Amino acid sequence: MSHSTEIDSKQAWDGGQSPFRVSYGKMMMWFFLISDALTFGGLLTSYGFIRHKYADVWPKAENVFTHFPFVEQHLPLAYVGLMTFILIMSSVTMVLAVEAGHRNDKKKVIVWMFWTIVGGATFVASQAWEWYHFIVGTETGALRHVWSQELHTYVEQTVYGANMTVNEYGVPQFANYFFFITGFHGFHVFSGVMINLIIFLNVLKGTYEKRGHYEMIEKVGLYWHFVDLVWVFVFTFFYLL
Amino acid sequence: MSEFHDDYPSYEHMAHHSEEEGKKTRKTLWRVFWYMLAITIFELVIGSMAPAQGWSGTLGIKVLFIGLTILKAGFIVMAFMHLGHEVKFMKYAVLAPYLIFMSYTIFIVLDEGIYSGDPENRTKIDPILIKQQEDLRAGHGAHHAGGETAPAHGTEHASEEAHH
Repeated sequence: MSHSTEIDSKQAWDGGQSPFRVSYGKMMMWFFLISDALTFGGLLTSYGFIRHKYADVWPKAENVFTHFPFVEQHLPLAYVGLMTFILIMSSVTMVLAVEAGHRNDKKKVIVWMFWTIVGGATFVASQAWEWYHFIVGTETGALRHVWSQELHTYVEQTVYGANMTVNEYGVPQFANYFFFITGFHGFHVFSGVMINLIIFLNVLKGTYEKRGHYEMIEKVGLYWHFVDLVWVFVFTFFYLL
Repeated sequence: MSEFHDDYPSYEHMAHHSEEEGKKTRKTLWRVFWYMLAITIFELVIGSMAPAQGWSGTLGIKVLFIGLTILKAGFIVMAFMHLGHEVKFMKYAVLAPYLIFMSYTIFIVLDEGIYSGDPENRTKIDPILIKQQEDLRAGHGAHHAGGETAPAHGTEHASEEAHH
C-alpha cells in the first residue's frame, strides 16, 4: 500500500500523530483477536497435553473421518481437505473484497463479499455434516466399557459413534476435545458469517459509499482471516498429526 | 469519518490506492493463495501416507507439519491480515504479547506433561484413566470398522502389549 511512509521512531511518541497508524476500530479488533487467539492457544495446548497422555490409544483421524458426501467408498481426510480449501478460498475472496474497498469499487466489494459468505456457510454446513457422522458412528460399532447407573459398575456394551462419555473410535477424551474445539471454532465461523452478512447488507444499502471509505470491510475481514487462521491449526493438530 | 476516530492519519488518506496498485496487490494475494494451496495439498498427501499408528510417533514429520502450519499462519497474518504492512509499533503490539504468552503456555505444558507422565506422580484420577487405556489396548474397543486397516490395528496393539 502506498501510505507506508515509515514514521520516525524518535518522534513517534511525541504526540500529534498515531504511532500505530491504524484507526481505533482496527486496533481494537486486533486486540480482541489476540485475546481470542490466546483462548484457542490454551485449548490446543491442553489438547496436546491429554493427547500425549493417551498417545497409544488415541484414534487416528484417517480412521475416523472417512466419509465423503454422495460417495460410497471411504476416502480418509478427503472431505476435511475440501473444507480447508473452502475456508482458505473464502479468506482469499474476503481479502479481495478489502482490496476492492480500497478502490471504492462497490460492485466488486459486493461480489467478493457474497462469495465469502457462501464459502463460510458451506464450511459451517460441512462441519455439521462431519459432526453428524462422528456422532452416529459406524454400522458395526465397537465394544466398550460403559458406566451403568443401575449396577454402579462398568459393563461391556457395543457403542456406536461418539458423545461426551463414550467414543466408538477410542478414548472419550478425543471426542470431548473434538466437540469442544471444533465446536468453538464452528461457532466463530457462524458468527463470522452473520457479521459478514450484516456488513454485506450495509454495502448493498450504500452505507460505506456514503461514508467515503470501506474500512468496515477491513475490520470484519480481520475477524474472518482469524477464523481461517485458527482452522489451519485445528486442521494440523486434529487431522494431520 | 466517524466522530470517535482520531484523525491521524485519516483512513481515506492512508488506505486508498489506485487501479494500478490494486492490480499489484491482487497479484500478490493470489500468489499467497497458491502457496497455501500447495502446502495444504502437500500436507494431505503426507497425511494420507501415514502408518497405522498415525504420524504422531514420527518426530521429523511432526516437526514438518507444525513448521508448515506456522508458515501458513504467517502467510495469513502477514499478507491477508496485512500485518506485514503495518508500522513496526503495530506489529510488535500484536505479536509480542501473543508470542510471550504462548511460549509460556507451551513451556508449562511440556514441563507439567513430563512431570505428570512419571508413574511416581500419579493423581487420583490416573488409575481410572489407565484402566480405560488398558481396556482399549486389550482390544475391547478395537475398532471393527475402518475396512482393511482393522486387522493391522489388532496386530499393532498386540505387538505393543508385548513391548510394555
